[in-house]
Amino acid sequence: MDLPAKPSSSLLGAPPARKGWRRFAVRLRSSSGAIGGGSLIVGYLSIIVLIPIAAVVAHGFSFSIHTQGWGGAFWHWHLTAGFGTFWTDVTQPAAISAIRLSLWLSLSVAAINAVMGVAIAWVLVRDSFHGKWFVEAFIDLPFALPTIVVGVVLLFLFGTQSPLHIDLFETWMGLMVALLFVTLPFSVRAVQPVLASLDGEAEAAAKSLGAGGLRTFVSVVLPSLWPAVLGGFGLAFARAIGEFGSISLIAGGIGRTTTASSYIYNLTQGFLWTNAAAVSTALLVLSLIILIASNVFARRFQHRLAP
Amino acid sequence: MSISLSRLTKRYGPNVVVDDVNVEIPEGSLTAILGPSGSGKSTLLKLIAGLEVPDEGRVIIEGDDVTDVDPRYRDIGFCFQHYAPFRHMNVSKNIGFGLRVRKQPKDVIEVKVRELLELVKLEDKANSYPAQLSGGERQRMALARALAIEPRVLLLDEPFGALDAIVRTELRHFVKELHRQIKVTTILVTHDQDEAMEVADQLLIMHAGKIEQAGEPTELYERPATEFVHSFLGPTTLFKGVAVRPHDLELVSPSVGSIEGVVTSIMELGFEIQVTITLSDGSTPWVQMSRNEFRALGVTTGSPVSVRERVAQ
Repeated sequence: MDLPAKPSSSLLGAPPARKGWRRFAVRLRSSSGAIGGGSLIVGYLSIIVLIPIAAVVAHGFSFSIHTQGWGGAFWHWHLTAGFGTFWTDVTQPAAISAIRLSLWLSLSVAAINAVMGVAIAWVLVRDSFHGKWFVEAFIDLPFALPTIVVGVVLLFLFGTQSPLHIDLFETWMGLMVALLFVTLPFSVRAVQPVLASLDGEAEAAAKSLGAGGLRTFVSVVLPSLWPAVLGGFGLAFARAIGEFGSISLIAGGIGRTTTASSYIYNLTQGFLWTNAAAVSTALLVLSLIILIASNVFARRFQHRLAP
Repeated sequence: MSISLSRLTKRYGPNVVVDDVNVEIPEGSLTAILGPSGSGKSTLLKLIAGLEVPDEGRVIIEGDDVTDVDPRYRDIGFCFQHYAPFRHMNVSKNIGFGLRVRKQPKDVIEVKVRELLELVKLEDKANSYPAQLSGGERQRMALARALAIEPRVLLLDEPFGALDAIVRTELRHFVKELHRQIKVTTILVTHDQDEAMEVADQLLIMHAGKIEQAGEPTELYERPATEFVHSFLGPTTLFKGVAVRPHDLELVSPSVGSIEGVVTSIMELGFEIQVTITLSDGSTPWVQMSRNEFRALGVTTGSPVSVRERVAQ
């Protein structure tokens, strides 16, 4: 379907010049997304996200800031010394094992939920059954529940006194169960709307051309879902690697089940702020790499699908 | 007969969408199922393809009862109204899909795809993605994809519905020409009577789930079996209480002293002119004539005229 071309903005003529804040307001309104909206977004992101992150990174590298007199007014950073302490902090055996645990747990949790997310979204979109509305609402529960509540529930269910006789206390499996629970909505909700938007004609076409159910799913449905699946993967991973509340109880207090976030928390309890900031920075960089990677892949798929 | 449908019925809850349809479609024909929206024509097509399951009746293709056969084993080429492209595959991959599913050797697929690209005139788009194609190109790709499996029957659901007028006409000629070349039994569904009359050699007129009349276009136009077929195939107007074709009426000068009607509106549609007359009994038939006839008459709005049925010459 070809959409009619949008009327070119030049038809509307240039907005009349105005003075002072009114002109600014006009510009904000007329070009939101261009200059006005762009600077607004950058400004907001700076205050909410970038500056705090920069502070942590700076602290992690133990940068000290001197002004060299009022005239110079530029900052001198002790880069070499900072990097040295940073490296020692993040290469502590305990730090390495915590980061490693967080990484592989989060990657596997995001991967498992990517698969389960597609399956659950499929059932929610394509099937109708009794109590579907309840499942729909239940999926979002991890969004709403304070994570420490999840931690308490899991400790009750899978702790040493487990009524199910499944003792996951102080095991990686306990952590994984917690992370699978809190990240599930990301995986399901990322895929669901895309799946719902498929009209089924392409699937019917594949069928009429002789493809079976599995073939149709793998070569017709799944390719349309990839960007969404990868998006959900990225979000689930990010949530998992930062998760603290839901795993803090079932992890117990031993090194084997100390994730990066718990490790950082433990450091802060010992007032080791610089160490904490250094490990945080390492975690931040790793998360960024994985988020960017999943975005790049998603874009690559999206690029071809764009109408 | 290539396709026989007997007592075919499909219900959606209390609605009977296809109601006891019995039809024979000749081998190698190009048949149009014509009907207003909601008449069940698309559903009928999907029943033939196996994309819908009938509640009653049988679908027989080339002598095989395929009613209980899964669509993937029916060897039917189906083109969807919105083309249903596989958007992540380029044009070649789209066209070759059915052959890959059938596990044909790579070199065979390659040759076949090249032939089809040529047939639908998309040679230079082989590596484009559907998103980069125009509507007409997408439809031609969908045709090639359906033809790749050498189907026993080709089914087209509103094939020109989503295209603009010019591309639409082009593609009509294209489909007609394509059918002349490959002679596969083809059924297309449309709500546009001009399209059906132009393209098809057989017409099925559908109304409220039933087949009103089947036959050749000219036959149906000249000898409509029901009031519905009459009004649906081409224009009608009420004259002396009877529905007639407006081109079967003519205007004559009123006999002296007896004004039987006046011209109340004139619509000039290029070659065709439509003149509406208000008669003394209050009825308002309209008459269709050529521009030349209209000039010769020399009437304008307000002219006193008389209307009569054309005498066959």
